[in-house]
Amino acid sequence: MPKHVAFRGGYRFTNFQGQPENIIEEFFVPNIVRIPLIQGFGSELDCLIKVGDRVFAGQIIARNDQNISSPIHATINGIVSDIRRINYFGQNCAIVTIKGDGSSEYKKIQEKPANWQELSIEDIEEKLYLSGVSALGYSGIPSQFNSSIIKPNEVKNIIVYMSDSDPFNISPELLFSDKSVQNLYDGVIILHKIMPNATVYIATSRNYRNILDGLDDQLNKNDWLKYRYLRSKYPQNHEAMLVQTVLKQKFPYGYSSASIGTIILDFQSVLHVYEAIVESKPLIERTIALCGSAWQKPSIVKVRLGTILDDIVHSRIKDGIKPRFILNNLLMGTELKDLSLPIDRSYSQIIAIPEDTEREFLKFVRLGFRRDSYSRTFISNFLPLFQKEFDTNKHGEERPCISCNYCEEVCPVGIIPHILSKYVKRSIIDETLANLHIYDCIQCGLCSYVCPSKIPLVQHIKEGMEMLTEQGCTRDKCILPHFDNILGIVDSYRGAKEI
Amino acid sequence: MNLIRYLLDNINRIGENQPLIGKFKPIYKALDDFFYGTDKVTSLPHVLDHLDIKRYMSLVILGLLPATIASIYFWGWRALLIIIVSYVFGGAVEVIFAITRKKDIHEGFLVTGLIFPLILPPSIPLWMVAVGIVFGILFGKEVFGGTGRNIFNPALVGRIFLSIAFPRAMSAYWQKPFIGGLGGFVHYQNVDALTKATADALTYATPLNLFRSGGELPSYYNLLMGFSAGCIGETFRIGLIAGGLFLILTRIVNWRIPLSFLASVLIFSFIGNHFMPSRFAPPIFQLLSGGLLLGAFFMATDPVTCPFTRAGKWIGGVILGFLVILIRSFSGYVEGVMFAIVLLNVFTPLIDRIVLDIKYPKVVK
Repeated sequence: MPKHVAFRGGYRFTNFQGQPENIIEEFFVPNIVRIPLIQGFGSELDCLIKVGDRVFAGQIIARNDQNISSPIHATINGIVSDIRRINYFGQNCAIVTIKGDGSSEYKKIQEKPANWQELSIEDIEEKLYLSGVSALGYSGIPSQFNSSIIKPNEVKNIIVYMSDSDPFNISPELLFSDKSVQNLYDGVIILHKIMPNATVYIATSRNYRNILDGLDDQLNKNDWLKYRYLRSKYPQNHEAMLVQTVLKQKFPYGYSSASIGTIILDFQSVLHVYEAIVESKPLIERTIALCGSAWQKPSIVKVRLGTILDDIVHSRIKDGIKPRFILNNLLMGTELKDLSLPIDRSYSQIIAIPEDTEREFLKFVRLGFRRDSYSRTFISNFLPLFQKEFDTNKHGEERPCISCNYCEEVCPVGIIPHILSKYVKRSIIDETLANLHIYDCIQCGLCSYVCPSKIPLVQHIKEGMEMLTEQGCTRDKCILPHFDNILGIVDSYRGAKEI
Repeated sequence: MNLIRYLLDNINRIGENQPLIGKFKPIYKALDDFFYGTDKVTSLPHVLDHLDIKRYMSLVILGLLPATIASIYFWGWRALLIIIVSYVFGGAVEVIFAITRKKDIHEGFLVTGLIFPLILPPSIPLWMVAVGIVFGILFGKEVFGGTGRNIFNPALVGRIFLSIAFPRAMSAYWQKPFIGGLGGFVHYQNVDALTKATADALTYATPLNLFRSGGELPSYYNLLMGFSAGCIGETFRIGLIAGGLFLILTRIVNWRIPLSFLASVLIFSFIGNHFMPSRFAPPIFQLLSGGLLLGAFFMATDPVTCPFTRAGKWIGGVILGFLVILIRSFSGYVEGVMFAIVLLNVFTPLIDRIVLDIKYPKVVK
């Protein structure tokens, strides 16, 4: 019986309308793709092609072995029509446009795939790097190339997780549609081959316990493989929470989990590892969930990376609804305002919820069959039959803080958001904030979510951190002295992307 | 619905052109907010909880509703009049301050305006209610800067002011409740009891008075159902327990303070009663007499004035229980709940400070 692990605080989002249906839709091969040369973490890659070149799907169009990064591939067969610099999620970055011929073939990484069990470790690492899969996960998969901030033999723990803690989740059966659990296990073996010093933890939500049924023998055979149950409460998928619950270790907030020798990957990434090594498939497509109540039919699509958002969104949104598109995470995710941008390899969900600017009559006395609240003041908390709905309305006027303590109760990292917010609002920025562990904030957004006074607590904490850093009391001074096992910290490592 | 929208829009338009009417913006803004939800949208996080302060406060009123309705049954329609007076004058102070400060009217006074009359004796003159609520909201809340910044519970400030300024009216006469039939629903006030009370005050004494003077104590059943003398809202204890549990269930009230408060009252009175039975009343009687349940569920839990840290809530509850037993047993006052809560309010910042210092040891100097 695997151990159950949990953290204090957090909030369980259950039963929301807009869960993706359990069918994978193969998206057509697009006629045009745009490929940004920064994807996820890492620095910008050197472009290896020029306008007018003919490229094929699976061809490496950008790589840089010096800086921390993994190669990027062309994802369709066609001709490079444009290379220009744009502002991509706050970073100045080159973006390559390829006009395709519509064919769906792609080139494998090595033409003659040998039996993977006979491959040497170096070969595996090279294959993983060349396939681009080493860029997945919170901090990449280390290899002899600069694909992560640490070296493979420095990795002490690998966490492979699959949880249903977010408001919307891809069901695991779906990920395994053309793969089996055995493939996942092979992926794990491959990872352990590269990182022999690591203990691998497979952590799943208890609701998914039957997916690993066939693996019992293997699980018991290896002493480097362990299995844990996760509670399905948000933000369990955050790397800080995974490290704390699964490994029972302190987490250096604000730094990557790789800096304490832990690599975190979700199931989909491990299946990509399997595909790259066994099937020699480069990372050119991803399974993305379209969830939220603004989609006509919330579903799961398999798309080529670089597909322009508008091609996907087009005609899938309910009529008469003004939607808001959010990337990956309903509480922390970036809003996708520009639909001419493409999908890159950090995408896993595109959430669409209706913008709600309607002023509802006598809103505060409604029973609320479909309303979610941390407090149990709506009838929906007692009636699980009704599916709840998300919208972007603020649901109330901003009021002074009454210290109701909801924010402290839900905070997963054990800080008290409302005092931090009061300090920041009154511009009292000094060491007190650091002593109250302001740098522990992982910006999961739960405190703002539950606040009945509608105070933007996360924003205040973020401002507070910025002002405190300006004053010289930086994160390094507050967090690092408590860790003696920090491996490598590169400031530019995260790029401009916040955690 | 459309009519209200039409009226509000018109007033708003006139207010923009006429500075005189514009001054009253907080009033029609508050009405607008009351009738209609907001049209603002979120930034980050992209979704927010459906609970807002209006609903939060109305849930507290819902929790008080059983006791409020019962108060009309026990004391006649005059009880309702007292509540109305409290709301009118309390609301007026709130509105005047909102206008002079040019701020929004906050919903907090909806709860204060109801709790205050519930902790008054039923025979109180109406003008005293008005004086008390004005004093309470003015000096208990507004001078500190309004909702969220007050140190003391405004209703208790008003109550303590009244009991010090008018001790006779506040503790000498206790009406006999209407019991049986339609009770107070068909009466204005129990005048009969009032005249008798001056001649024979002890007959209608509160249970705690009876214990102090060695009289015969009412049964626990009578105490639970409210068949005893006392303040307007404190006697229907079964309703208070139901309302309090409802608020704990909906998470409006944090369970830590009521639990630690009531448990420590039981423990301290058990110890005291064991050694000095003449001074300390028995535990269950302590629990079911006076304003303990009303205080524990609705006043000690006021989030603004009670400790906000989790450990502070436990400590605060124990302090409250200790103070209540101490005051009830040794002081000149028979009832100690309101003083205990106000004393805890004084210590709240200190308790929180100490808890925070222990919980968050210095990372950087």
